[in-house]
Amino acid sequence: MDIFLQQLINSLSVASVTILIGMGITLIFGLAGIVNFAHGEFLMVGGMVTWLLVMAGVNFFIAMFGAMAAVGVLGYVAERTLFRFTLNRPMNGFIMSIGLSVILQNVVIKALNEVQKSIPDPIAKVWAIGGVDIIAMRAIVVAITVVVVAITYFGITRSRYGVALRASVSDQDTAALMGIPVRRYVTGVFIYGSVLAGLGGALMIALFPITPFTGSVVIIRGFAVSLIGGLGNVGGAVVGGLVLGLVDALSAQYGYPQWTDAYSLVVMIVILILRPQGLLGGTLGPRAT
Amino acid sequence: MSADQRRDAVAMPGFSANTRKTGSSGWLERPPLDHIVMGVAILAFLIAFPFFNPGYRFLSLAITTGFTAIALYGLALQFGQAGIMSVGHAGIMGIGGYTAAILANQLGIGFWLALPASILLSALAAGLVGLPSLRVGGQHYIIITFCFCALLVIALTNGGDFTGAATGLDVGPIAGPFGINLAKLRNMYYLVMLALVVSLVLTYVIVHSPYGRTLWAIRENEPLARAVGINTNFHKIGVFALSGAFAGAAGILQTYYLRHISPPLYGAFPSLYLALMVMLGGARPLYGPLLGAIIVTFLPEVGGLDPIDSRIAYGVGLLLVILLLPAGVSGGLLGLYRSMIGRQRRAEKG
Repeated sequence: MDIFLQQLINSLSVASVTILIGMGITLIFGLAGIVNFAHGEFLMVGGMVTWLLVMAGVNFFIAMFGAMAAVGVLGYVAERTLFRFTLNRPMNGFIMSIGLSVILQNVVIKALNEVQKSIPDPIAKVWAIGGVDIIAMRAIVVAITVVVVAITYFGITRSRYGVALRASVSDQDTAALMGIPVRRYVTGVFIYGSVLAGLGGALMIALFPITPFTGSVVIIRGFAVSLIGGLGNVGGAVVGGLVLGLVDALSAQYGYPQWTDAYSLVVMIVILILRPQGLLGGTLGPRAT
Repeated sequence: MSADQRRDAVAMPGFSANTRKTGSSGWLERPPLDHIVMGVAILAFLIAFPFFNPGYRFLSLAITTGFTAIALYGLALQFGQAGIMSVGHAGIMGIGGYTAAILANQLGIGFWLALPASILLSALAAGLVGLPSLRVGGQHYIIITFCFCALLVIALTNGGDFTGAATGLDVGPIAGPFGINLAKLRNMYYLVMLALVVSLVLTYVIVHSPYGRTLWAIRENEPLARAVGINTNFHKIGVFALSGAFAGAAGILQTYYLRHISPPLYGAFPSLYLALMVMLGGARPLYGPLLGAIIVTFLPEVGGLDPIDSRIAYGVGLLLVILLLPAGVSGGLLGLYRSMIGRQRRAEKG
């Protein structure tokens, strides 16, 4: 039982990172109507910026904000120069984002190298609670994720901006007539999602080493989370992240570990086929073309 | 359902105006003169290429271009004609490649007998992978195909001795008929080019046959196509299977050219590059996929770029093509050609 609990708590911290990236994708895909395949690369860039800053002697938590800002700017530039031209043809935007992910990955390889990067534990402490060892940094990662999820959830469901955003998703023209700057909201959501990816990258490198190829692994999990939960549905992303985290933890402990990655892929394919709108329901994405 | 009905579907209003003539008699339209001229020129070039003394490096690049283009013709059929993109095409190639390699290693079956098996199994796999596309939208489907590739790599890596695990499998050279030594690069080149020409002709025939017109109708207006009695689901799976058959042929050629295959060849990234090449070259024009394969294969060599630089260049190229030339490089060239011809005709008329 202890091992199971230990495994569960560890997987919760991994699930946190997955939830962060899934939430970014769910917002961008479901609300802004952009399928950004480069989102995983955004996360990887966030991790690399954190690494660069920490190696330059900056405190981890400041570096984290640096990564968020850097990836936010990256998102802004990408939206302004690329995705805003394909808003009416989401399929083209998707293919373009594949190109973007190839570019980002190789630019990072060129600028740094292919070797995996890691930072020393920002907080090297272990709390023993009831026979279970909890690594402090993992607990902090979970706590940060909880806060961010809460902010995002209330921001979208309760705040004035969230209401305006959801109005522009359900009826773009009417929302525009009511004086909502729809395009600006699209940009805003894109930047917010990118900032979440930057945060996810910073938290990820605090837990494990990352390589320039991390993005392409993470992106599939991110899509899995957002599609399982339902696009545009923040609560759904959390549920999706926890489901995936649980599947991983259980399979690593009780299944065949070399098939760990396969389980989440299978879960995702099955859910996509049986319930394309996700488990908790959401938008079907940008005009399913 | 008769062929006339299908033709009616194309002629109905609501389809885009640039559809081809629908009143042509006969099963297959006669290709226009410029198509024939272009085809003969390309054929002549392909035959003559090894005589220009291209050297080992360029000849092997040409072979790579050849089998990549064959796979691309499959993908172009699926994307250009049925309008469904997939990023799992390298996985389907892998089914063909591994079928051949496993047959060779387990049963000692050579290239010629494995060829139909590879093509059939790849077509079957592509049809199965295509099934979800009937239910989910384009982007969801792309993600499913991406997952399929990742799953395939995991399965191949965990397959033990049967699939050779992470190291992969080796195959011997192709036993050539009439004592032709196919281990020789130039002969391998001609074999691949023969297959390429066959796929080009097949693509042309498929696109211009009643079947191609049916696909056209489905792509332009699916509810309408269904309303006039076309079994859209059946035809969509059919085009997936066809596309898979091309990929299977490409896969087995690749296997016997490289003589060693391993799982990463068929992962998500090679699939992404295939999708990228189709977009770069253009999916609809007949020579688009070939152009895409040529650009991507030869660019690093001609431009003197290292692999990292050339990948960045492809990415940038893809962005530029999508933003500026949504029909691909060949589509852009074709548009230029047509506008020039149009201007000339107008000038002649005075």
